[in-house]
Amino acid sequence: MNHDGDEHITRRDFFSLVGWGGVMATAGGSAFSCYKFYFPNVLYESQKVFKIGKPSDYPMGLSEKWKKERQIWVVRNERGIYAMISICRHLGCTPNWFQDEQKFKCPCHGSIYDIAGNVLGGPAPKLLWRTAVTIDPVDGQMVVDFNHRQDPDPVSTENGLRVEEASREVEPFFLKG
Amino acid sequence: MSKLMNRISNWVTSTPFWKAVFRHGYEDTARNRSLTTFSNVLYHLHPVKTRRESIKIRYTWCMGGTSLLLFVILTVTGVLLMFYYVPDTRRAYQDIKDIMTVVSFGSTFRNVHRLAAHGMVFTVWVHMTRVFLTGAYKPPREFNWIVGVLLLVLTLLLSWTGYLLPWDQLALWAITVGTKMAAATPFFGVEGPFGAELGMRPDNDVKFMLLGGTEVGQNALLRFYVLHCVVLPLFVVVFLAVHFWRVRKDGFSGPL
Amino acid sequence: MPEKSFEVFPRSPKKTYGLMELVKGTAPGVEKEPEDTTFTWPNLFYNEFLMALAVTALLLFLSLYVQAPLEEEASRDTTPNPMKAPWYFLGLQELLVFFDPWIAGVALPVLIMIGLMLIPFLDINPKGRGSYTFSERKFAVTNYSFGMALWVVLIIIGVWFRGLDWNWYWLWENGHVHKPVAAGLGDLPVMFSRNLGISDFAGKAISDLLMLAYFAIGLIIPAWFFKGFFKRLGVVRYITTMVLFLIMVGIPIKIALRLVFSIKYAIITPWFKI
Repeated sequence: MNHDGDEHITRRDFFSLVGWGGVMATAGGSAFSCYKFYFPNVLYESQKVFKIGKPSDYPMGLSEKWKKERQIWVVRNERGIYAMISICRHLGCTPNWFQDEQKFKCPCHGSIYDIAGNVLGGPAPKLLWRTAVTIDPVDGQMVVDFNHRQDPDPVSTENGLRVEEASREVEPFFLKG
Repeated sequence: MSKLMNRISNWVTSTPFWKAVFRHGYEDTARNRSLTTFSNVLYHLHPVKTRRESIKIRYTWCMGGTSLLLFVILTVTGVLLMFYYVPDTRRAYQDIKDIMTVVSFGSTFRNVHRLAAHGMVFTVWVHMTRVFLTGAYKPPREFNWIVGVLLLVLTLLLSWTGYLLPWDQLALWAITVGTKMAAATPFFGVEGPFGAELGMRPDNDVKFMLLGGTEVGQNALLRFYVLHCVVLPLFVVVFLAVHFWRVRKDGFSGPL
Repeated sequence: MPEKSFEVFPRSPKKTYGLMELVKGTAPGVEKEPEDTTFTWPNLFYNEFLMALAVTALLLFLSLYVQAPLEEEASRDTTPNPMKAPWYFLGLQELLVFFDPWIAGVALPVLIMIGLMLIPFLDINPKGRGSYTFSERKFAVTNYSFGMALWVVLIIIGVWFRGLDWNWYWLWENGHVHKPVAAGLGDLPVMFSRNLGISDFAGKAISDLLMLAYFAIGLIIPAWFFKGFFKRLGVVRYITTMVLFLIMVGIPIKIALRLVFSIKYAIITPWFKI
């Protein structure tokens, strides 16, 4: 601090500082409260953790049973079951499943996926999400946690973006058997 | 008959009430023409005298004025549609159906609203092109060009927010795609570059703020309704006022 | 009284006015043609009124024949195929095919808007104010027209040439038959390393260098050949103009790379891909 008479803070400087400080603080506080006001704290959206029945309900292949209500596909392959979110990784449209070609195609911008969620073509930058699937020990039903997602970094190949299937078939994103 | 009409019109235009409202009449003098423009709140957007060259249709293509006209038409039809529309996901679609089928002239007003919206996007683009080609953004009009670009952005945002309101498939998916782009914003979106690194989650990023939720639902519909009907039009009106004021005050950029 | 005042113009007792003083200065009216103005009322208002009548009549007439569409009620389980935005957003939607969402949906629109706002500060050519002219501002008009044409072409592609699964459909093709899946896309660095038999790192380095070279050459060559242009603009203005210009030209180049060589990304970093 400098206590020389020349650089002394005058009474006028002090009040001007306090006054403008108060104005700025109020403006900043108002801006922050408007910003915060925009983020709802309580949501009334659909449940994000839900049951989808027993593993024995699902035969080999892809099931679109929960697509409408819960936005997931349930897939059984030779090794087990996984659940995939039916949201295109490009811009969030719902891809369509073509049984004869064994491919998902997105109607919005033409992204193509295989049944494992690998990108075969189109603009999608990442693979389809898989969600966590666990077994409820009480009634033996599968429990899907929609917000707990598997999102591995894909490798770029000649046939699109891929991830080693074995690395995806791990708990809690895969049910063996 | 025409004699009678003349007498009626003479009598009407001679009443004190008529004269109180319309101050200047049709008297064909330079002074009267000046006063007509100068003393009217709407007309005096224009100067009393305009350069002959700058009012030719082949110069302006009338696009700026048409944009304003379309904005006015959109406001009027939009306010009318608001009387029958509730921004509730359970009702919105049915309300639009009602407007299209059982409300008197409802379909006409909705059609006009939609066509005018398309038209306004078109005329604003063409207006900008015209201003560019005539170099009318050059000093001293630089700032007014910026205001014009902002008005273009507002026009596009108005179209985009209006899109969600019918709550049909087109609405849902157009907004899903549009807000997913917001989620891809660098730094502020969960899926954008550096977003996750900065702690963005699906429930705190810019998309969440836009939608008021993690998915396009009731909160999103209400937000877009308020933006479409109140916030954005208010911004447009304010910027329009600045735009017109600047046209008058900055002078002409044409050959001096 | 001291000195006798000297009158340049003697006062005349017959006149009520006189010349008071002579000052030096420039008169605003000198060398200025008389303005060819006309009364706003009725000449301009007449035009505006006619235009308003015509537009309103056209709107009402069209509204009888063009029904505003209303599709099925919103439902999250099916996306209409193809899902097309309104025409004025189709340029953007088309860009989304060729670029990642943060580029096509956020970076490019923001750049377009900023670029448009900067126009008056970058274009310092004093000619061509208030009249249509091409010869006096060739670069500016060409530049703007190129951008507009690109945008219009993208919109036209989106409106008329995109069908099921956002595939390309000519107007005479059956729009109800799905097209076979196109061949997969590759990345430029991977292609380099594979076809030239070099390491992944070298492939990446080459494609990064290519990108740098594009901007470097794009900045140096015009400054070299059009010295007058460079001098007039100055360094800051020149670089801003050329970078915006190169990004704009880069868009069709990237589209062409995708269509001709099936290249998905040219630049790959851990955080983003271009």
